[in-house]
Amino acid sequence: MEGAITAVFEVLNFGAIMILVVLGLGVIAGMMGIFNFAHGEFVLLGAYTVYLFSVWALPIWLGMLVAPAVVAAIALVLERLVIRRFYAAPVIAMLGTYAIGLVIRESVRGLIGGLYRAVPEPLPGSFDIGAVHIARWRLSIVIVTALVIVGSYLLLSRTGFGLRVRAALENPSLARASGISTDRVYAATFAFGAALAGLAGALVVPVFSLSADLGIRFLIQGFLAVMLGGVGSFEGSVVGAGVIGILSAALPWAVAPVLADVLVFVIAVVLVRLWPRGLTAGRTV
Amino acid sequence: MSETSHVTRRRFLQSTAWMSGAIATGAGSWVVPPAWGQSGNPIKVGIATDLTGAIGYAGNANANIAKLLTKEINAKGGVIGRPIELLIEDTASNESTAVANVRKLIQRDKVDVVFGGITSSMRNAIKDVIVTRGKTLYIYPQLYEGKECTPYIFCTGPTPAQQCDEFIPWLIKNGGKRFALPSANYVWPHVLNQYARKVIESSGGEVIFEEYYPLDQVEYSATVNKIMTNKVDVVFNTVIPPGVGPFFKQLYEAGFQKRGGRLSCVYYDENTLNINAPHEIEGLASCLDYFKVVTKEDAPSGRIQAEYDKQFPGNIAFAAGSAATGMYRGLKLWEAAVNEAKSVNRDPVAKALDHAKISEGPGGPAEMVPGKRHCKMRMYTAVAKGGTYELVARSKGLVDPKEC
Repeated sequence: MEGAITAVFEVLNFGAIMILVVLGLGVIAGMMGIFNFAHGEFVLLGAYTVYLFSVWALPIWLGMLVAPAVVAAIALVLERLVIRRFYAAPVIAMLGTYAIGLVIRESVRGLIGGLYRAVPEPLPGSFDIGAVHIARWRLSIVIVTALVIVGSYLLLSRTGFGLRVRAALENPSLARASGISTDRVYAATFAFGAALAGLAGALVVPVFSLSADLGIRFLIQGFLAVMLGGVGSFEGSVVGAGVIGILSAALPWAVAPVLADVLVFVIAVVLVRLWPRGLTAGRTV
Repeated sequence: MSETSHVTRRRFLQSTAWMSGAIATGAGSWVVPPAWGQSGNPIKVGIATDLTGAIGYAGNANANIAKLLTKEINAKGGVIGRPIELLIEDTASNESTAVANVRKLIQRDKVDVVFGGITSSMRNAIKDVIVTRGKTLYIYPQLYEGKECTPYIFCTGPTPAQQCDEFIPWLIKNGGKRFALPSANYVWPHVLNQYARKVIESSGGEVIFEEYYPLDQVEYSATVNKIMTNKVDVVFNTVIPPGVGPFFKQLYEAGFQKRGGRLSCVYYDENTLNINAPHEIEGLASCLDYFKVVTKEDAPSGRIQAEYDKQFPGNIAFAAGSAATGMYRGLKLWEAAVNEAKSVNRDPVAKALDHAKISEGPGGPAEMVPGKRHCKMRMYTAVAKGGTYELVARSKGLVDPKEC
């Protein structure tokens, strides 16, 4: 019984981490039609910000609050200088964002000497429910992920900003004719997606330790998740990431881990074949 | 502002073109020529190591120690009266880049010997270029899974026998009999585990499970659960970064050490200590040819470490897990062999290298086992305590590599 509870918690936890990482990717891909290959590096920048706070002996939780803002600011600059030139050419956008990612990744690698660095969690230790150990920080990640999902959903579906974002997505020329600055909306959306990535990096770095390849680890699974959920919707990314995260954490309990790794992709491909427009097609924001 | 200070588009293009040209052709190739005034045509020593990419921290340590030794040797008048010219090529943690760059060493620079390669896949990618087609001597410095018996390849890092024969009985005594072998799915863990399993079983222990994971897996709850429910005493880990950090963390969170479990990992050195917070890997045991704390009991090790730290301050550490100690040993053994052979040609040097000895080195003396092309050396067992290592056992004399 304890084994089962532990399993459920651990699987849920990795599902939450996956959702957190993929959310920003999904928002940018869905709302702007840009597959951001630098997403993993935005995650890395969030993680690096927290690492700097720990080096400077500042509170870690403060670093986690600041990280999304830092990453959003960097993304805003990149959007103004580079990304906005690519809106008309998504394929070139992939190459461009890949290049940006490469520059960020290798710079961080240089800064940390190519090594792995441990970052302490703000809530260390674990507590017991019966015979089950629950790590405090892992539980916090699950809770924050839930809050972020609800918050982002409300922002996109219930606010004026969300309405303008969706208008700019659905019909850019009509949106412009109605007095919406699509230019600004895109910039804000990109920064928002990057901020989510920064937050993800900040929250998961105590679990995975900082290294230059922290973000790239999630990139392929992230794209798979977005495809699975359906490009162009917020719920899609959440559902897709949840499915991928839960599958990759749950399968090793049942089959040999090396096989599980492949099975995740096989199952995802089958699902995409059955629901080519995504699991949430037609029922979205 | 005057007209001339403007950067014109043409000027910008010119300089970027020049820069990218320089980067494309030049970066990664470093030549350290002998000092002015040294007579005799230099001996060309090629170093092929991972200066950039995922294991750049290790490759740079290798290049650093080679530079340090070259300087030392040249200051004493070189080898057989000839100075050493060091040619360093980047293998970039990427086998296809590596093959092209190593070819430059062999075909363009016509080096007399090549040192380098860190991973086994790298050694396998470049050895043919060097030894078979290049007809050049190759010295491989990293701890590895053994079984490299190609003629003209000499290995100066520890083998499974050296890392297991004394270490596993120690683990059984200071941990327990029930072993788990969680491993990354590539050649080194597979072959090392075969050997480790033999030693575990012949020393009275048992292997509860041996399991392989994809190289980039970062979620180990299923494994941790298996370790905890099967009452494993010793985790003999060969999971590598990025997985090893989260794995050790999850193991700690599940209370493995609190329950008396012993963590062990034979590639853990000073660099890898930083992957986790110190309390998460308290008590982790490792067995290598060198730890920084050895400097306290072995004066020559102390001198080498101090010299390295003086010349290369910063975060590229001189550590055993990154092959830097094997590189030192290899260069000194090769120097001894050239002095004996009075030549840099492959056959006479290989013949002399076959029984070469050095009396000082990181961790102590070392000598090649005749006919085996592997190296006897001292081995140390250390345990992580509060973010550093403490020596808990050392081999009596030199340990046999038991290869080939």
